[in-house]
Amino acid sequence: MSTDTTVDASGDRAGQRDSERTSAWTRLTTGTGNIDVVGRKKIWYVMFAVLIVVSILSIAIRGFNLGIDFTGGSQIQLPGTGARGQITEQQVTDIYTSSVGMEPVSVQSVGAGGSSSILIRSESLGPQQLVPLREALFTQLQPLGADGQPNAAAISDSAVSGTWGGEITTQALIALLVFIVLVTLFLALYFERAMALAALVALVHDIVVTAGIYSLIGLEVTPSTVIGLLTILGFSLYDTVVVFDKVRENTRGLLKLTRRTYPEAANLALNQTLMRSLNTSVIAILPVLGLLVIGVGLLGVGTLADLALVQLIGMICGVVSSLFLATPLLVDIKMRDKRFTQQAERVAARRRRAAAVRAGEIDPDDAEPATAELATTGAGRTAAPASAPRPGARPARPTGKAGRSTGGRRRR
Amino acid sequence: MASSPGQQISPWRYLTAFVGIVVILYALVLFTGGGNISPKLGIDLQGGTRVTLTARTENGGVPPRDQLIQAQQIIEQRVNGLGVSGAEVVLDGSNLTITVPGDGGDEARSLGQTAQLRFREVIGGPIPANSAAQGATQPGQPAQPGQAGQGTTGQAPAPAAPAPAPTPQSMGPDGTTQSRDVAPVSFSAPLQDPAPPPGGDGGSGGTSSPADPRVAAEVAQLRQTRQSDDPAVQQQAALALNCNAPDPLQGYDDPAKPLVACSEDRTEKYLLGPTFIEGTQIESAQAQQSSNGAGYVISLTFKPQGAETWGQYTAANVGKATAFVLDGAVVSAPRINQAIYGPTEISGQFNQERAQELAGTLRYGSLPLSFDSGEAQTVSATLGLASLEAGLIAGAIGLALVFVYCLLYYRLLGVLTILSLVLSGVVVYAVLILLGRWIGFTLDLAGVAGFIIAIGITADSFVIFFERLKDEMREGRTFRASVPRSWERARRTILTADAVSFLAAAVLYILAVGQVRGFAFTLGMSTVLDLVVVFLVTHPLVILVSKSKKLGKPSLSGLGAVARIGARHRQATAAATTVKGARA
Repeated sequence: MSTDTTVDASGDRAGQRDSERTSAWTRLTTGTGNIDVVGRKKIWYVMFAVLIVVSILSIAIRGFNLGIDFTGGSQIQLPGTGARGQITEQQVTDIYTSSVGMEPVSVQSVGAGGSSSILIRSESLGPQQLVPLREALFTQLQPLGADGQPNAAAISDSAVSGTWGGEITTQALIALLVFIVLVTLFLALYFERAMALAALVALVHDIVVTAGIYSLIGLEVTPSTVIGLLTILGFSLYDTVVVFDKVRENTRGLLKLTRRTYPEAANLALNQTLMRSLNTSVIAILPVLGLLVIGVGLLGVGTLADLALVQLIGMICGVVSSLFLATPLLVDIKMRDKRFTQQAERVAARRRRAAAVRAGEIDPDDAEPATAELATTGAGRTAAPASAPRPGARPARPTGKAGRSTGGRRRR
Repeated sequence: MASSPGQQISPWRYLTAFVGIVVILYALVLFTGGGNISPKLGIDLQGGTRVTLTARTENGGVPPRDQLIQAQQIIEQRVNGLGVSGAEVVLDGSNLTITVPGDGGDEARSLGQTAQLRFREVIGGPIPANSAAQGATQPGQPAQPGQAGQGTTGQAPAPAAPAPAPTPQSMGPDGTTQSRDVAPVSFSAPLQDPAPPPGGDGGSGGTSSPADPRVAAEVAQLRQTRQSDDPAVQQQAALALNCNAPDPLQGYDDPAKPLVACSEDRTEKYLLGPTFIEGTQIESAQAQQSSNGAGYVISLTFKPQGAETWGQYTAANVGKATAFVLDGAVVSAPRINQAIYGPTEISGQFNQERAQELAGTLRYGSLPLSFDSGEAQTVSATLGLASLEAGLIAGAIGLALVFVYCLLYYRLLGVLTILSLVLSGVVVYAVLILLGRWIGFTLDLAGVAGFIIAIGITADSFVIFFERLKDEMREGRTFRASVPRSWERARRTILTADAVSFLAAAVLYILAVGQVRGFAFTLGMSTVLDLVVVFLVTHPLVILVSKSKKLGKPSLSGLGAVARIGARHRQATAAATTVKGARA
C-alpha cells in the first residue's frame, strides 16, 4: 500500500477478517465498503481520455447518421395487416416504385404482432406524388384501420423539409449552450470553484461520449435524440451533486484536523454515496429500459425509442463519470492548493508517529490506521468491519449552513 | 443516545395539506370544464394532421410580430373553413403550427399559401346567404370576431356615409407598415421549400392551383361555375353556393375572372367582377376616429402605381360598390362616393374594434410573408392508438420495475415509495387535465416519454432520503432518531438535485422548437410535483413509520444490517471512551 495521498487499505484486511459476517454486498449496501477510487485515478483518467478521444475522432471522421428530420424527406407508415393478410415489404416496395417512379430509400417492417407496421422512407414527396401513392397503397393492400376494416386513413405520413431539421438543431445547440452557462453559474454559487469545475468536466465528458457512441455505432440521430441528450445533462449533474454534497460534508473543517487527508475524505464520501448512486441510477434506468423495450417492441421506431436510447446511454455515462471522473478530478484540483497538501503532510506525519508508537505489537504494514478513533481497542477493531472513518461520528451540527436552526421548517 | 434530534414536524399536518391539494385539484377537474375528464392528447396519440409553417420574410429577417399574428388569424380562418372541429393554429416563435385532429386534415397541408387581398367590382348582390343555403352548419364554426352587436357593419353601402375626404388625412407615416412590393406567393408545393418570394412588382398575384391533385380538380371545376364570364352561370352558381360549407376555392380564385363569393361573416353572397387592384398595392391602412366624431373610419393609402389605378377606377365607378376580397371572401364592400386621388377614407358604422380589424386586413391582407412547411405529419388513428398504448404499457412496466426494486431493497420503506409514486401519479393526472383546459397543453408521445423518465427522478428523491437514513443509523442512532436528522440533510440534496433537473427542463422548454417541448414540459412538471410529494407525503409517512413500534422494526424496514452496524459502532465507541488509551 502506498502511503502518499491514497486511502489506507486497512478496510480490506478488516473486510477479509469479517467476511463471514459481512459480504461485499452488505458492505456495499450499508456503505461501509472501502473501494479505493481516488487512489487509482490514473487508471480512470486514461480510460476517460481514451473514451473522449475516440468519441471526438469518430464524430469528426464518421459523423452522425442523421434521421429524416435533419435531412428532409418523407416517411409513410401503414399497418402491417391488410384485408388480404400480412403486408410484405416487397409488396410495398413494388407499389412505391410503380407509383412514384423511383426506389424508396428504405422499407422496413417495425413493431410486433397486432401493432406491427411497415415504414417507408423516401426522398421528399410533394402532394402530387404522395396522394396517388397513398391511394395505390390503399387500393392494392387494403390496410386495416383500428376497427378492423380497411381504411385509407390508416396510412400515416410525415414530411419534413431539410431547413426544419436545421432549425431544430440550431435551437438545440443554443439550448445546450444556455444550459451550460446557467449550470456553471449555479454550480459556482452552490459549490466551491473546484467542485464546479470538476462537475463541468464530467458534464462535457457525458455529452461528448454519448455523442461519440451514437457516431460510432451509427445510431440514428433525430430531434428526439438531441433533446434526450440535453435532459441527460440534468441527470448527470444530479448524480454529481449528490456525491459532492457528501464530499463537502466530509471535508468540513478538514484543515484543522489531522484525522484524514482530502483525497481520503473524498474517497470516503464516494464509498458512502456509492450505493446511493447505484440505486438512483438503477431506479432511473429501469423505466427507461421499459420504455426502450416497449418502444422498440411495439412501435419499432419513433419518439419513444429515440428518447429512451439516448437516455440509457447518457445515464450510464453520467453515473460512471460522476463517480470515477468528477471526484478524482475534484481531488486533483483541490490538492493543488498548498493548504491541503500541507494538511496531508501533517496527517502522514501523525500516522507515522502513531505507527511508531504501536510498532511493537502491530504489523508494520498496517501502519496507517485511518480510523477516527486513534484509541480504538482490539475489541472494537474486530467488532467493526471496514473501519472507515465515519464523518460525524460525534456529530455536533447538522449539515447546511453552519448554525442553521435544526427546526423542521421547510425552505421553499 | 444521540444528540437531540431536530424538532419533529407533525406529519399529519403535511399529509392533510397534501390531501387538501388533491381534493382541490379533483374538484377543479370535475366541476370546471364541462365534465371532460381526460387529458388533451396530441395528434400523435389520437391521430390527425400537424403542419408546421415557418414564416420567411423576403429579406430573411425576423418577421414582425404583428404580421405573424395577422397571418395566424388568416390561417385560423382558413382552418375553420375546413369545417373540422378542434383544429388549432398556434403561434410559436416565428412558426405557426396547425393541428387538425382526426381524419380529413390533409387539406391543412395546403393552408400555408400567402393570403390574397383583391379589390373587385361588385356586380350583383349582396344577396342574403340563406337564400339557397343547405343549412348544414358545420360544427366548430367560430364566432366572427368584431361582429358583436354590429349587425352588418362594414357592409356598406352605408346610408349615412359621408363623402370620403379628398384631402390627405393628417396622419403620420406608420413606421411599422411594410411598404415592400411583394407579390403574394402562393404556396403551391406545401411539402417542399418554396422558392423565395419574387420581389416583383405588385399586382401580379397570379393564379395558383393547389398541389393536391384531387383538390386541384375540384378547384378547376368551381372555376368553371363560380368564375364564369357568363352571367347566367354566375346566377346559378350564386344560388348553389352554400356559405356555411368549406370553400375549396379559398385562396385559389383566378384574379382575372369574375367571382361569386360569400361575405366573410357568411351572411351574404356577392357577384364580383375581375380584380382591378391587388392588395399588395396598399401602402397603409389606419383605423382612426371619424372627423365628425361619430365612430371610426379607415384611412387607406396606396402605393404610387396603385393610387393611380385606384383614382382612375373610382372616377369611372362613382356610386358603385367595390369589394375587398380576402382569400375569396368579401371582407367589406363600401360604395364609392367620388373619384379618389390620394388617401381614401372608408366609413360606415364601424366601432373601434371592427375598424381596426378591417384596417389590419387591408394592411396585411397580402402578407409580405411566405411560409415554408417545416414539417407536415399525418398520423392515422391506428398508429396514434398504438403509440398511446405503447406509452402506457412502457409506463406501467417502468413503474412495476421500480416497485419491485424498491420492495426488495427497502422493504417497508419501499412500500412508502410506491405509495408516494402512486399519489404523485394521481396529482399528475389532475394537473394534466387542468393544464389542457387552461393553457391548452396537449400530451403527446414525447410528453409521455417525459413522464416515464421522470418516474426514476421522482424515486431518486426517496433513495437519497433513505440512504441518508442509513448513514445516520450506521452511526449508531435508532431509526426513530435518525429520521429528522437525515431529512434535514437529504432535503438540501433533493432540492439541489431537483433544481438542476428543473433548470434543464426549463431551458429546453423555452428554447426548443417543435414537438420535443412536450418532453421538457412533462419532465419539468414532474420535478416540481416530485418535490411536493416528497415534502408532503414521503417524509411524513416515514416519520409515522419510525414512531410506530410495530412498523419500525429493522427487519421490516430493511435497515437491519445498518442497524446492527450502528449497534456495533455504539459498542465500539463506548468501549473506546471507557478504556481510553488502554490496550486490548
